[in-house]
Amino acid sequence: MRQAGIDIGSRAIKLVVRDRGVVVHRTVADTGSDPLAVCRRLLDATAFDTITATGYGRHLFQEHWPEASVISEIKAVAIGAVAAIPQCRTVIDIGGQDSKAIALDGNGRVKKFAMNDRCAAGTGQFLEMMATSLAYTREEFITAATQAEEGRKLSSLCSVFAQTEVVSLIARGTSKETIALGVHQAIASRTLALTRGVPVTPSVVFTGGAAHNSCLVTLIEDAVKHPLHVPDSPQTVAALGCALFRGNPEETGHTPERKVT
Amino acid sequence: MSFKPAPLIDDEFVGQPPTKRSLAHLLTKREQKRNIAGVYCTYAPVELFHAMGIVPATLCSFANGPIELAETVLPANLCPLVKSSYGFIIGDTCPFFGVSDAVVAETTCDGKKKMFELITEHKPLFVMDLPQIPDSPEALDNWTRSIHKLAAFFQKQFGTTVDDERLEAAIKDSNRKTRMLQQVFDYAALRPSVVGWNELYDILFLAQVTTGAELAPTVTRALAELERRKEAGYSRGRADAPRVMVTGCPIAGDAAKVFKLIEEAGGVVVALDECLGMKLYMDEVEEGTGDPWRAIAAKYLKIPCSCMTPNDIRVDKMDAIIQRFKPDAVVDVILHACHAYNVESHKIELHVQEKHGLPFTKIVTDYSDNDAGQIRTRMEALIETC
Ligand code: SF4
Ligand code: SF4
Repeated sequence: MRQAGIDIGSRAIKLVVRDRGVVVHRTVADTGSDPLAVCRRLLDATAFDTITATGYGRHLFQEHWPEASVISEIKAVAIGAVAAIPQCRTVIDIGGQDSKAIALDGNGRVKKFAMNDRCAAGTGQFLEMMATSLAYTREEFITAATQAEEGRKLSSLCSVFAQTEVVSLIARGTSKETIALGVHQAIASRTLALTRGVPVTPSVVFTGGAAHNSCLVTLIEDAVKHPLHVPDSPQTVAALGCALFRGNPEETGHTPERKVT
Repeated sequence: MSFKPAPLIDDEFVGQPPTKRSLAHLLTKREQKRNIAGVYCTYAPVELFHAMGIVPATLCSFANGPIELAETVLPANLCPLVKSSYGFIIGDTCPFFGVSDAVVAETTCDGKKKMFELITEHKPLFVMDLPQIPDSPEALDNWTRSIHKLAAFFQKQFGTTVDDERLEAAIKDSNRKTRMLQQVFDYAALRPSVVGWNELYDILFLAQVTTGAELAPTVTRALAELERRKEAGYSRGRADAPRVMVTGCPIAGDAAKVFKLIEEAGGVVVALDECLGMKLYMDEVEEGTGDPWRAIAAKYLKIPCSCMTPNDIRVDKMDAIIQRFKPDAVVDVILHACHAYNVESHKIELHVQEKHGLPFTKIVTDYSDNDAGQIRTRMEALIETC
């Protein structure tokens, strides 16, 4: 049986297909302005028997694929993180539009979670906006931050204010590397604040698109004072969780009938 | 099973916002030449209103629409309840304000206090001086005095008077209302609950503008329907749906999106610990004390509002609510920029988790619907953890 999991995020759509316990298919595409078309394209490229959706577009997805189950991102990330790194007890997930910290019990069940407020502060989108203000590509941005000796502290984490601040810092001749590191540090301290809302127990797993960012990984490790385990393909962990959802109800702590409709 | 629940209030307003029904009631009163006074807050001592023949009208403050207009004067970074109230008034779109002959306000939070200063030109306004430290010995004296002053204001405005006897009668009537509503709440406490939050609101909104005697026939019929549902084994939502207690800022109108999202996530709202929900009806006024003014004052000082410091009574009452309604999770709803409830949320969270071991989530929201996706995710995750 082929089980598909799809995570329709604000920036990217991720699809994972498992067949008899093995991941056989994994794709990531930009969400763009027509997420349903992207979903259709991704799904046309593979076969599956069951499908579970998560992410911002999950309910929209279910309207068009009524056979799909739907679970929250928190549950999806939790299942996926435990599958990827079984000793996981805490998940830090930074995606395009939100960031979350999730505490799990020994059976992989969600004990507690915290999410950012509705604004973009502390999310992937914040990083992207700042990179754009500095005229960096994503890779250049990370390299620049890594090369800086010290970071320039931003006085505001509001993305609108921060953007203005970055522009004026550049105008005052502050080095772009210093600002780039400052932006990364800001995300790390925001993440620390988020994790204060849940008990942080090792092993701590870092997921979401931002987990590809090596500078951020180091800074968050320093901030939360725990090593971070970054699974392979951290961006598709929630999709993996979805692909596991029907296949192994035990893992979820609930029976699949509990699905939200 | 072919059981179909009937509406709890089976009238021409079925399916409409509960405010329509209260407005119709007020318009009838208006035709009977009764005086009407608008209120914004649960601290308004309605027993005095009724004793003086004045009908209380809860003023509109829960729609997103008027906020844009309000923001032409008020700062954007202010509680939506305050902005909405003000927008309704300056845009002249609140029919409750329209039918009110006067407005009664209280010194609760800063946003409201300062907003009241801006509306004095529209209607005669009386601001009651509400003590902020309810446990202090002077609080009761001072609040009793404020209620006397309100009576003097009413007398000046409307020419009606009041004596202890009539006040005592109003207390009895108000307690009767409280007891009736408590009977209704019992059906939410059932496991599974047989009543929805929106149905409770239908009754509670009518209760805002009616006396106990006026409300009685409606509640009697509602109770009969609830009993019928119970016997038929009906449940609101799935029989095993996680039960949610909602606490925090007042919730209605556009903020009621939170209730809807809880239900869509698979939960059922069983306890409404907020000002438009059950808060006002958790205590009776002591009868036959010889000083009805003081007895009324004492009841209102027991309202667990975050404007008070310390507001320890909130956690005490919460314990009782949790015991009775047996929620599986607690959601603290904070209106954007309401510092009092937002700061207090930390204490509530610790209490709920440490004493009751219940999952807790704080939602900071306003009346717009652009955060529905985020709230939905949180509510689904909360329900999943139950
Ligand atoms: S929360 Fe406090 S200020 Fe607001 S209506 Fe209730 S009692 Fe009044
Ligand atoms: S919700 Fe808070 S800020 Fe808004 S009116 Fe009530 S007490 Fe004031």
